Amino acid sequence: MELRFKGVSKQYGDVLAVDNVSYSMETGVYGLLGVNGAGKTTLMTMLCAVTRPTAGEITWDGKDIFRLGERYRDLLGYLPQNFGFYPDLSVSDYMMYIASIKGIRPDTAKKRIKELLEMVGVSKYKGRKMKTLSGGMARRVGIAQAMLNDPKILVLDEPTAGLDPNERIRFRNLISGLAEDRLVLLSTHIVSDVEFIAEQIILMKDGKFFFTGTSEELTSGMEEGVWSCTVPSDKVNQYMQKYPVGNVKHVSGGVELRLLSKTPPSENAVREEATLEDVFLLYFGEKAGDEDAEI
Amino acid sequence: MLKCELKKFFSKKTNKAILTALLLGAVIISFLAVDNMSYTDTGEEITTGFSKITAGRRIEAEKNQWKGELTPEKIADAAKSYHELKQSDSEGVPNLESEKTGPPLDILYFAAKIYQTENDVILLADLDRLAETDHGHIYDTYADNLQDVAVEYAKTPEQEKLLTEQFGKIKFPVTYEAYDAWEIMAEDAEMYIMVLVVVIGFLAAGIIDEEFRTHAEKIFFTTKYGRSKAVRNKIIAGMLATTIVYWAGIGILSLISFGLMGVSGFDTPCQIDDPYIMYTITKGQRYLLVVVCGYIASLLSAAVTMLVTAKMHTEKVAVFIPILMYWVSYIVVRLTVVDAAYFVPYILVNMDNAAKYYIFFQIGNVVFRLIPFVMVLYVAVSIILLPFIYRSCSRYDSAKSIKKRSKYLEVK
Ligand SMILES: Nc1ncnc2c1ncn2[C@@H]1O[C@H](COP(=O)(O)OP(=O)(O)OP(=O)(O)O)[C@@H](O)[C@H]1O
Ligand SMILES: [Mg+2]
Repeated sequence: MELRFKGVSKQYGDVLAVDNVSYSMETGVYGLLGVNGAGKTTLMTMLCAVTRPTAGEITWDGKDIFRLGERYRDLLGYLPQNFGFYPDLSVSDYMMYIASIKGIRPDTAKKRIKELLEMVGVSKYKGRKMKTLSGGMARRVGIAQAMLNDPKILVLDEPTAGLDPNERIRFRNLISGLAEDRLVLLSTHIVSDVEFIAEQIILMKDGKFFFTGTSEELTSGMEEGVWSCTVPSDKVNQYMQKYPVGNVKHVSGGVELRLLSKTPPSENAVREEATLEDVFLLYFGEKAGDEDAEI
Repeated sequence: MLKCELKKFFSKKTNKAILTALLLGAVIISFLAVDNMSYTDTGEEITTGFSKITAGRRIEAEKNQWKGELTPEKIADAAKSYHELKQSDSEGVPNLESEKTGPPLDILYFAAKIYQTENDVILLADLDRLAETDHGHIYDTYADNLQDVAVEYAKTPEQEKLLTEQFGKIKFPVTYEAYDAWEIMAEDAEMYIMVLVVVIGFLAAGIIDEEFRTHAEKIFFTTKYGRSKAVRNKIIAGMLATTIVYWAGIGILSLISFGLMGVSGFDTPCQIDDPYIMYTITKGQRYLLVVVCGYIASLLSAAVTMLVTAKMHTEKVAVFIPILMYWVSYIVVRLTVVDAAYFVPYILVNMDNAAKYYIFFQIGNVVFRLIPFVMVLYVAVSIILLPFIYRSCSRYDSAKSIKKRSKYLEVK
């Protein structure tokens, strides 16, 4: 079981959305992390054989996925970023429809649908029309449909976008439960989504993979230290310009900043343990957290 | 899989609304048709009072006193009886209730059209004058006229042969049975079909459009059968839905209308009111021809709109094509001077007139008449289009990408 990219690029007009990516994946959870426009969706649609790369090759166990065609798609479960469904179908009719085009026999499908809807926690809505579901409920159905054929490759494009924090935590647990014995590729721009469940983290920027590795490798590979220091209010801007700054917290006697620097930024600065958030801050130059998750 | 696709089709809210409207339309048109029934006797049209629902049956019974072969004697009888009626009642208007009803004018018009070939308007006075005519040789005259028509309208010897052959099939004496219900229904069904073909195009396009409009296509095309069997099933579902919707509509329309008006006149030849048409079919067969051609038009409509939707990833353009094909191309037929223009799809929904044209399609020695030719032509076109729908769906996005890819690699 190996999915491999060999020099994969995708060009849209003048935009090079994916730029010469080479990488190999096996079972486990892979977290694809990047800001808006990094090329995550483009990469995933190629991986799902929806669009073809402009250059390069994607192979499954050594065979080109576009040649494999039906056999490859049989292994695939996909939740697109804009999860579209048929609004007038009920949840169970929708699932039956997807099951049918995935080539699952009706009696098998019925059992499987029951299990999956229970697993994602929407069984009590199974008679409801798809269009009446809330965003979070619909996304759960989206995951359930991706799981229908018990896929070897599960591709989830920003499954947590637009969900409230509680819901996101539930999703995270759900996804880590699905990861056994399959390849899960999960894209997000929210660090906490993948920090704990992804074995491998891929940082993507401007169409390139510029870091791949475990969460520990990422944090320990950072040359900058993470510091927390309290500074007077009028100096905050100065610090903000000089260092990448994460959390900003108003405390008595000034403002407490969490920032990245190779040397201690001030005398009272305290060294903190680096997290994936800090790595994200360093590489993407912006604070990534739950607050700006609503895209 | 097909069941799921059809379920999806019939559970769509807009589709439900449209189907309800279509069925209601069928019911309304049926009653309008029944309402249209009128009895013409000595020249004044009489709509038969408030109990119109049964008018059809009564007219039928009344007129069918004259049913049977139109022998010269019977035509003479009818002419005489009409003349007497006119004499006895020059002002008053005979009607069904007063038992003063005369012979069906259909018979008199038939005779008049044989004597008066110049295509002039036939006046009631002409009908009155039939009483003075000797009808002994009416069918000889008819046969001579037919021969003249064959010579006049055939452009090649093969066409003349075909016309002579067809005219030879007309059985003398022509038989008569009241055919009013078929006459009215041929017209009303065509009106309904004009709407059906456009609506069906829209419904079929929706089967493909739905994927793109709802952005469900990314999932659809990444499933195992999303580029093969599932696409094939969509096409089959489109054709099946077309079939179901069309025949349900026409079925209801026909059931109500003929249920109320009766089916008298099924076997009356079309020559009764147009002695020189080159299709030797009965009034009932003509109705079947109208609805079968409407069905072909619906299949064509569905195939074309599905194809265009598949190509463009939206139905926005596709849904207007049937309007062009069946409504606007009417203008082409009206303004045209070349025969080829008669082969537009509009002909399929206008059988009533099409039967009157002497239009042929000839390759070498083989001659086809307009109607059978367009029927075969458009069934063939509908079928030929299907693989293209399949191809354009199953190659979703990748065909375009392949072209770009080779360009990109060239540049590199
Ligand atoms: N169909 C397309 N046509 C033209 N340009 C495209 C198309 N799809 C993506 N792009 C461009 O490719 C780049 C990468 O887009 P992509 O959607 O892959 O980013 P992303 O990482 O998924 O972003 P987000 O986090 O916003 O979902 C962007 O610059 C985008 O504008
Ligand atoms: Mg994206």
